[in-house]
Amino acid sequence: MVRYSMPGRWSLTDLSVRVGKTTFKNPVLVASGTFGYGEEYSELFDLNQLGGIVTKSITLNPREGNPPPRTCETPSGMLNSIGLANVGVDRFIQEKIPFLNKFNTNIIINVAGSTPEEYLRVVEKLNHAQGIDMLEINISCPNVKEGGMAFGSDPESAHRCTSSIRKVTNYPLMVKLTPNVKDIVEIAQAVEDSGADCISLINTLVGMAIDFRIKKPLLKTVTGGLSGPAIKPVALAMVWKVSQKVKIPVVGIGGITNTQDALEFLLAGASLIQVGTSNFVDPQTSVRIIEGLKDYCEKNEIKRVMEIVGKLEN
Amino acid sequence: MVFQKKFELISSQKLSEKIFRLGFFAPEIVKNACPGNFVHIRVGDKSSPLLRRAFSIFDLDLKKDCFDILFKVVGPGTEILSRKSTGENLDLLGPLGNGFEIPKGDRSPVLVAGGMGIAPLMSLAFYLVKNQKIKPEKISFLYGERIKGGFVCLEDLKELGIKTLLATEDGSEGFEGMVTELFLRKVKETSFVKDSPIFSCGPHPMMKTMSELSKKHNLFCQLSLESHMPCGLGACWGCVVKTNRDGGEPDYKRICKDGPIFDAREVELD
Repeated sequence: MVRYSMPGRWSLTDLSVRVGKTTFKNPVLVASGTFGYGEEYSELFDLNQLGGIVTKSITLNPREGNPPPRTCETPSGMLNSIGLANVGVDRFIQEKIPFLNKFNTNIIINVAGSTPEEYLRVVEKLNHAQGIDMLEINISCPNVKEGGMAFGSDPESAHRCTSSIRKVTNYPLMVKLTPNVKDIVEIAQAVEDSGADCISLINTLVGMAIDFRIKKPLLKTVTGGLSGPAIKPVALAMVWKVSQKVKIPVVGIGGITNTQDALEFLLAGASLIQVGTSNFVDPQTSVRIIEGLKDYCEKNEIKRVMEIVGKLEN
Repeated sequence: MVFQKKFELISSQKLSEKIFRLGFFAPEIVKNACPGNFVHIRVGDKSSPLLRRAFSIFDLDLKKDCFDILFKVVGPGTEILSRKSTGENLDLLGPLGNGFEIPKGDRSPVLVAGGMGIAPLMSLAFYLVKNQKIKPEKISFLYGERIKGGFVCLEDLKELGIKTLLATEDGSEGFEGMVTELFLRKVKETSFVKDSPIFSCGPHPMMKTMSELSKKHNLFCQLSLESHMPCGLGACWGCVVKTNRDGGEPDYKRICKDGPIFDAREVELD
């Protein structure tokens, strides 16, 4: 068989993925909070290659975030407690969106808030901006005192939050779920019922690290969100469970560092994947995965990457 | 311009039991680097230790397209790095950070190093003498360590012709006490430091003291701050320091992107 795996050359494989009316050129996105507003990584590789960029969370007003130390390393992972530091939606629209719009990739704006009204106000402002392909609704941040994870912790509030946003915007909605709940499937179903176009999971797991020598926590906020390869098995299980029970596409997130990890998430039922912590370790992780998926499909004579989704055999 | 690629380790030297000096052949990084910049190094390809480790550029050789880092083994990341052999290729990201602001004119720079804080200040010292053509005798270098045996680079400083004032906590060499105490004593000698640009790097408590002294005596002192840095690029906002840049509300700045060099008067260290 002839292989066309050189970057930029014509390929036999169709890597594109459709989610509702939105087409992604490939299933590899970069996760919110790990890629800034795109600028930071644009010197290192061509962002046009990405399936999509999910921005850092945007709130109504600028946020300073939590006091440092905000991060620490743990076995095969890291904890963070950034606290949604961001420039606020107005500056975001003025200063950051024009840069993102230079690229031929899907732009997904991650929206967060302390109150349900704040989410609506941010979304209403984004309604007037140009070049946004989708919103990711963050009802799963574990590092803020108000809002964040609270809206994603039970099916009723997740439903209320998503459906109120659904009413005020035509943007496709991706709702990001927290794993820190009793039953993530119930919440996914509630989000599906309220009109979400797809569901992304998982956000970070609540975790903690201690320096026993000084008897102090390593994070100023004591607890934070665990990410990285350490959480991959948890994420895979949740993606698999949720994708069995909802009809809308699932976006897999959690410790993805290479092509093999990405394939595992696709098999478990994810239509798209997001690379998070690995952007810190190897900024080019996502482009390596895109090439790897192309290679895998060609070797295995898979015409469309979508054919792999949910094909776990058991 | 920032680069990420594998660069060859061309030299490895053990300076003391825990202190190592590694050299890389890295033309892209060298051409774009200035004193105060750092590189972010992936020490292995395993998931633990996961994150990159940040190291100040210690010596920059523009002619040979190589640079050195200096580090102390403090954990698993630096332990792995200390065992690398020449000829190996390591994944480096850099040069990163803002670098020292080097004032023009004929003023006498004062450099204050504590422990491994010597690393960025040595690259600055080389730069001041070799590139800025500042007469070495005009530079004051204050250098503190716990004990006499802890000092490194004294030969390099001597070769450059820079007068070095040493401080040890146990008094086994030079001034007895912290290097910040030695610095304060010098601040009080009016001929010294008043209008001098000051550059300092060292452990967190030392940086806090230098910041307080700079505010109290209104000194123009640049600190090179250290932190855990997940991305090193300014994307994650994980490595922030509280600042008071405009005299208004406290503001968090990223050590990796807005720093690592900060005006000592603008940072609020705990």
